[in-house]
Amino acid sequence: MTVPETLLELEHVGFTYSTGIGFYGGKRVEALRDISFSVRPGETLGLIGRNGCGKSTLLRVITGIFRPDRGRLVRHCDRISLLALNVGFDPNLTGSDNLVISCMFLGASKKEALTMHDEIVEFAELEDYIAQPLKTYSSGMKARLGFSVGLKMQADLLLVDEVLGVGDASFRTKAKHAMKARISSDQAVILVSHNDVAIRSLCDRVIWLENGEVRDQGDTDRVMADYLTYVQTVKGVGRPQNQDQIALKRKV
Amino acid sequence: MLLAINTRQFWAVFFTKLGFNLRSEVSRTYLGYVWWLLEPILWVTALYVVFGIFLRSRSDDLLVFLVCGMVTYSWFQRSVSNSSRSLAQEKGLINQVAIQKIFFPLLTVSQDTVKQLVVFTAMFLFLLYMGIRPDLSWLTLPLVIMTQWLLILAAGMVCAGIVPLIPDLRFLISTLLQVGMWGSGIFYSYEDVLIQQHQDLFLMNPMANLIKNYRQVIIDGELPDWGALATISLSSAAVIVVMMLVFRRLDTTYARLAIQ
Repeated sequence: MTVPETLLELEHVGFTYSTGIGFYGGKRVEALRDISFSVRPGETLGLIGRNGCGKSTLLRVITGIFRPDRGRLVRHCDRISLLALNVGFDPNLTGSDNLVISCMFLGASKKEALTMHDEIVEFAELEDYIAQPLKTYSSGMKARLGFSVGLKMQADLLLVDEVLGVGDASFRTKAKHAMKARISSDQAVILVSHNDVAIRSLCDRVIWLENGEVRDQGDTDRVMADYLTYVQTVKGVGRPQNQDQIALKRKV
Repeated sequence: MLLAINTRQFWAVFFTKLGFNLRSEVSRTYLGYVWWLLEPILWVTALYVVFGIFLRSRSDDLLVFLVCGMVTYSWFQRSVSNSSRSLAQEKGLINQVAIQKIFFPLLTVSQDTVKQLVVFTAMFLFLLYMGIRPDLSWLTLPLVIMTQWLLILAAGMVCAGIVPLIPDLRFLISTLLQVGMWGSGIFYSYEDVLIQQHQDLFLMNPMANLIKNYRQVIIDGELPDWGALATISLSSAAVIVVMMLVFRRLDTTYARLAIQ
């Protein structure tokens, strides 16, 4: 099989949605204005920016959940997997059922999903709960299940949306190691995170989104340094912080 | 998520999810599967008490008459009402997976169809118990049921497709389904109640027409009205095809609406 030069190309992609419908109207939000970049096989691309700058919307445009209003998006691969915290689980089905369905949505046959079942459950450390309906799960447990499914499934391009901080400390360490192993094994990844340590240690290249536009892209250290300086000069939520710092603050 | 999940994968996920949903529905209530039967039984009981006892319009076969009307109408009502909510309920999944949105009304209608087959079985056992003897004409019943299934799928797809675009219609749909119950001749015989000129108009309501056909076959042992069945089937099929195109065309619009 020949390896394509790029897995994904975006040229001037724009996406607008409205915040409401009906006579009372809604505000039109230009979530993405003019996004151009490409992803090469095997590279890990960091996606940074303040809250509401369009990172998650961009990931959904890439997976094909949203269609861009403007611009061109070309995918040279079949399996694009989105790993996010609010995964599309059905609260009434058991953890097991949700696991099988999620694997199948990622392209596995039912048989393959059942074969991988135990391995995924073991990684997620949910052996005692997997037969229970998902609505009884804590948010951490749901996140662990979603993360484990996404991690074990094959994908040409893996989109990771803020999931490095899932679970308790021991699971987090395990998850980070597993993610690192996956990233170093020639997996193409787009990583969204507010954790600057993770971005610096994992990404080959970084794209900085601001207000739906690419403000800068290139070498991780340079862009990250500029970005950190920038967020310290502007007010607003979503300042990049280390997950451990956030955890510490919560405790205080 | 595979981009544009292929047809084979679509159906594989579909049937797996159908099985899981049917199983989980049972574990959500104390009585589980019993509710599938209890709901039409409660309705028939209430109607029988009102019309058969209080209003003394008791005829020998009122109970059988009510069962034929209520069991079939409640299938229609439940499926269409559930379908109209099917896309709104799955916002989480729609925002996570690039799946063809037709998946959701199709799943809802199929889930209700499986349940209805159980209800139909119970209904026929009840009819036998009530002393109704099966006739050769009963062999045509699968065709009447198929026609109703097409009608339900068509109505369900329209409601599922339109509610995300205009959420207000959800209220209108539930009102219309209630009104439809009074207008489909469940607890009265249209031939006794309506004047001749209004009868044709009444039979333009496809559910009223289907209920008439069910009774014609089950109670009177006659063959169904083939012309009416063909008309309902073909128009439903046409609506289904149009809605498949609408769903394909609006596929990512629904994802966008889910965040608005």
